[in-house]
Amino acid sequence: MARYGMALDYKNCINCKACEVACKEENGVELGAEKHRIWVGANNPEGQWPLLDIASVAFQPSQCQHCEDAPCQEVCPTNATYYDENHVVRVDSDKCILCSYCMNACPYDARYVDDRTMTVDKCTFCSDTRLARGETTTACQNTCPTKVRTFGDLDDPNSEISELLRTRDHFSLKAHLGTNPKLFYLT
Amino acid sequence: MQVEMSRRRFLQGGVAMSVVGGTTFSATNLFASHEESHGSVPTTITTKTSTGKAEEVPVLCGMCVNKCAAFARVEEGVITKLNPNPYFPKSRNMLCPRGNAGIQTTYDPDRLKYPMIRIGERGDGKYKRVSWDEAYDAIVNGTDKFKGLKQILDEEKDNRATIGYANGEGLSKEGFEVLIGQKMGTPNYVDEVSICLETAGGGFFSTIGTYPEIDFEHADYQIIAGANRAEAIITPDTMDMFKYTKGRGLKTICIDPRFTNTAAKSDKWLPINPGTDLAFVLALTWVVFKENLQNEEFMKKHGVGYEEYKQHILSHKYTPEWAEPICGIKAKEIYTIAREFMDAESPIYYPGRRSVFSPNDYQLRRAMAIFQALSGNMDKKGGYIFGNRGLLPAEYVKQPIYQNTKERFDTEGIAFPTLKSGSWIVFRNMVLEGKNPYPVRAMLMRKHNPMMSVPNTTKTRAFLEKMDLNVVIDILPTDTAMLADVILPEASYLERMSPVKSYGFLEPSVVMRQAAIEPLFETRTPEVIFKELGEKLSKPLFEVSKKHDVALQELIKEKGEKVAFEEGGYNLAEPFEKPIEERNEEIISEVFGEKAWEIIKEKGVYYPHMEEYHKQLSPNDFQYYPKNKRKYTSRGDSLKIVCKNDSLTSGGIDAMPTWDDAWKFSVPKGEFRLITGRHAQFTQSGTQNNMMLRDLIPTNFVWINQREADKMGIEFGEKVEIKSDIGAIVLKAYPTEKIAPNQIFLLHGFGSESNGMEFAYGNGGNDATIIKDDIEPMYGAAVMHSTNCKIRKV
Amino acid sequence: MKIGPLNIPIKEDFSLKSILDFERTPINMVLAVSVLAMLAMLLLGVGNYLIHSHHAYNVTREHPWGLMIAVYIFFVVSSTGFCIVGSLGDVFGFKDFTMISKRAIFGSIVTIMAGFTVIAFEIGHPVTMLIYNVLTPGLTSAIWWMGTLYGLYLTFMIIEFYFLLNNDMKKAKIFGLTGLLVGLAAHSNLGSVFGFLNARTISQGVYYPTYFILTAFITGIFLSFIVMGFRYKLNFDDKTKKLLEGLAKIQGLLISILIFFMTWKLLTDMYGGMPNRAEVAHHIIHSTPFYAEVILAMIIPLLVILKDFGRSPVLMFWASLSGMVGIFFMRYNLVHDTQVKPLQMMKHREYQLPPEWIHYFPSATEIMISLGGLGLCIALYYVGTKAFNLDEEH
Repeated sequence: MARYGMALDYKNCINCKACEVACKEENGVELGAEKHRIWVGANNPEGQWPLLDIASVAFQPSQCQHCEDAPCQEVCPTNATYYDENHVVRVDSDKCILCSYCMNACPYDARYVDDRTMTVDKCTFCSDTRLARGETTTACQNTCPTKVRTFGDLDDPNSEISELLRTRDHFSLKAHLGTNPKLFYLT
Repeated sequence: MQVEMSRRRFLQGGVAMSVVGGTTFSATNLFASHEESHGSVPTTITTKTSTGKAEEVPVLCGMCVNKCAAFARVEEGVITKLNPNPYFPKSRNMLCPRGNAGIQTTYDPDRLKYPMIRIGERGDGKYKRVSWDEAYDAIVNGTDKFKGLKQILDEEKDNRATIGYANGEGLSKEGFEVLIGQKMGTPNYVDEVSICLETAGGGFFSTIGTYPEIDFEHADYQIIAGANRAEAIITPDTMDMFKYTKGRGLKTICIDPRFTNTAAKSDKWLPINPGTDLAFVLALTWVVFKENLQNEEFMKKHGVGYEEYKQHILSHKYTPEWAEPICGIKAKEIYTIAREFMDAESPIYYPGRRSVFSPNDYQLRRAMAIFQALSGNMDKKGGYIFGNRGLLPAEYVKQPIYQNTKERFDTEGIAFPTLKSGSWIVFRNMVLEGKNPYPVRAMLMRKHNPMMSVPNTTKTRAFLEKMDLNVVIDILPTDTAMLADVILPEASYLERMSPVKSYGFLEPSVVMRQAAIEPLFETRTPEVIFKELGEKLSKPLFEVSKKHDVALQELIKEKGEKVAFEEGGYNLAEPFEKPIEERNEEIISEVFGEKAWEIIKEKGVYYPHMEEYHKQLSPNDFQYYPKNKRKYTSRGDSLKIVCKNDSLTSGGIDAMPTWDDAWKFSVPKGEFRLITGRHAQFTQSGTQNNMMLRDLIPTNFVWINQREADKMGIEFGEKVEIKSDIGAIVLKAYPTEKIAPNQIFLLHGFGSESNGMEFAYGNGGNDATIIKDDIEPMYGAAVMHSTNCKIRKV
Repeated sequence: MKIGPLNIPIKEDFSLKSILDFERTPINMVLAVSVLAMLAMLLLGVGNYLIHSHHAYNVTREHPWGLMIAVYIFFVVSSTGFCIVGSLGDVFGFKDFTMISKRAIFGSIVTIMAGFTVIAFEIGHPVTMLIYNVLTPGLTSAIWWMGTLYGLYLTFMIIEFYFLLNNDMKKAKIFGLTGLLVGLAAHSNLGSVFGFLNARTISQGVYYPTYFILTAFITGIFLSFIVMGFRYKLNFDDKTKKLLEGLAKIQGLLISILIFFMTWKLLTDMYGGMPNRAEVAHHIIHSTPFYAEVILAMIIPLLVILKDFGRSPVLMFWASLSGMVGIFFMRYNLVHDTQVKPLQMMKHREYQLPPEWIHYFPSATEIMISLGGLGLCIALYYVGTKAFNLDEEH
């Protein structure tokens, strides 16, 4: 059994949103601007034309961080949110009662409500689609024009992601909250 | 916008133009029709992929010009996902947002599903559903509402040039050119090049012999001016470039009036006044010559008119101090950039390819090419790459000669009119102004939407309304289709096999698109349409030629009618007789062998030694050609840099790039210069009805400088009217500091007036309504950035 | 009446007639019509919800908890408050307070049932909840503990009420004590639903799990004034006056403590400009509902109490009405303020404003169901006064 995580070379990101579309297509996510599992965040540059601060603009792809100590898992009253055998945080929609506690507990705004089942949904690392078919990449990784993402097994020392994390500086989002996210942003 | 389409809504089709005849608009009828065509339609707009059985069909994306290779995952007759194809060197194993959303284009409920002919007045949207045969018949013989080709040609005494045709970029573009241009024999062809990259391409072609590719892997310095690769995706440039910017090996200076996403990814951004890039480049060149930084050996070896050019630049005193007030970039920066550029090991002045900024674009691209040459970084690793030519030979077409056909006339104001595709604006305007020497009476348009793409929509509408016959072949009921007399529905790119195409440059390959599903509804593939149209037109049009064409009459006397028909090439369907798969197999097997055909059928891509060269290096990276097999140098001694081209003067064009103060940038007080550009999620007007992409960009906003907006009391999302000399549109405002106080920007491809497209209809504003139809003098291409606008709140 | 071995003492004249038999004063008529209207709204709102499901609500991805959560908290706090007040007499044996025990315990049952009704339409899948809360409980989940404990608490309250009705004080005391402890635990867990939200720094921490008990007590006392006011039609006898004076004095102390706690919470939130805390606290004290909460729930009742140290129960009745409105705002503010700061401050699309404060206003359906819950609560209480003898037995 693996321990899946993802490394993001986010400086490559051009905010094209190919990953957002690929995720929706692969996982049958419903249409709607708020119904996204993954997204690329951006901000407006600081300063005034013509002196704009380039460094202040960031393109930050983000999604469920599949935390090791996921607050969403801790707060779920029915254990609908659980860790599967690859330590991917999953939602069993049969058990979800839509109390929305996980939506408030997640520091990363990763969750939304799937209108068709009226349960909470989020990134699954393509566990029930691509990984279930034996593929080794997630839809978002596979489609990216500038190859921002590398998905892989953190427990396998020979995997690409392990090599990346050993050789490059990286940080995680909101690390001070103790969630131990498994998404690593390479600097 | 919350969109959840029920099956019933989808099957209703939503073609809100009123269609009568034969069938009522019930779900069962449509159900019946698409069962016939073997394709099934998904019940939801996005279909989750399953772990079950699936076909992986190699396709080529058709959402933009890049033709990225993909595998279409087809489950139970429904395309559930498009995955990148890792074998195609050019697309580097990726699919952009539009590529992924191709599924929503194919399953767009508003798609044209069956042939239609006009039964009302032009533009009122009243059409009748007909069979394909009836539609073809209407094209040949007309109806009581419009004339057919036979009658038109007869009245014009077989002057084929009375038929104009327009075509959009794509893998079947050439086929339409063969059918209408070569076989049907009209020279009056307009396509996208004269409203896009003709001038940029021409500038490079005439200076260094071709349009180059860039080796980003080994480059270390780049000036990217007026090209927005982060949002106007070109493969493989976009995928390569942004891995190295921001201090990771490729120092990138972005020159752009607007702070684009490319600027955000660069090391430095310098805003420039629109249309003054030439002054910038001339100043850079002056610095290099003044301080003697150029690669003199390289220029002496390859330059043509080099010494004259040097003298020309120095004597004109194109100093950075001169350039600063014109282009708005500080002289100090220009000095620094010129020195850094020449000091770098492998500098690149990125060529860029897009529509025209200003009338000096041709000279700008020439100056850019020459400046690049001054560094000597051409035809080698890290520089401009010329690489290989394509791998496939050109096809031979037996072209009939129509004696009575007159020549193209769209030459007014153009120095060097291109024979093949002329100039859309000049062609249209001359017809409107009555300056054409003979009537143009029909427009056959395929995959082209001039109502939205050509500046000055009012004139385009008037032009199309002047025609006796308009035929539109398309997949959606576009604004142009709403002015058609006969509408033929084409199968989308995922529903057809296309002719094989070869790509050259550093890592050449041949690619082939196959059909993921059978054509939906009653659509037909382009090659089938060409064949059938050719078949239906051949004999009737041959009769017309027989009547009026003296040369043909003599040929018939000599050889008899049957032989004259066949040998003369009058069988219009002949190039399309063989099914496309057969044709492709022939070509591939002939050039590369049988094995290659097997490979390209399975993988969608072929190049010699592919099985040996193609390796996966890591989860994200592939090797297509080993480095020692890539041809970084291909021109060698034969490379010529044409600095001075005296033949240009005969058309009134400067032999060497020279500045004219007429090109200075100025905007009247209180007005704004309109500039155009791209977002990565949209392809011009082609994607305006795509449900997936509309979630990403719901409408086009107009960019206004934040401080200007505050002065006028305009807030985010408020409606404003943008008015130019030729029209006005109303858009929501997007106040931002990413644009200059005297400029505005809006995304192209919105503001459709066709109520056949549910999401596109009435959404946003059409920039072609307000952009003036100025042309640049070299080829007559449309100048896009010369329009000043007034803004007011509404 | 008898149900098996259980003997439930109901008033002999309890019938539909007795329910409809009330003094037709203007106030009573207004109340009656309002309650009927609220019950109608409940039906309408529930109907709308059954058709449109969660689309009938204005909750969003960024603001998933809305008015109905706040109303649920309002009801269960009221219930816990009633329980505390009720236990003063029958658990802790304070003689002055025994006269209100039965009424208070009944009130706690009625309010929590109204609360459960409202939350049943907020939880997306209540049946799934009943099944999987038992089969696969999330034992680290504050909501699980809260839900389970409140279920237990309701059971104990019902049992205690049964014994109170049958005047079995010894057994009532046992179940009263356990019920109180379970209720306090449940209520703290409700506070910890917010207190455990590490992502929401404005609510995270020790404050909500602990101060909830304080506010419960305060709410219970407000409600006691209201129910006693209606019982005696503001014409109190001496024994009741003594009870109410005692309650008022306690209330004065409690409100003072509450103001003290709140002040320090806000000060420590704002001090030093801690990110995610300071600006939210700043936003809160510049919003109108905050002042509604403070003035209606704290200032007005405190002033009335201080006026003559709790000796004007009639004025206290009115102050308690204001207090309950203020308490409602307190609950709504809690829910809204927790979610008011976006979790991530980046734009998702080019053409949007950068995220600022999350806006929320309840939809018509949410308001209807919430008011309906209130109507249900009042109606059930009213029927209870007709069915049972809620005064102290002698």
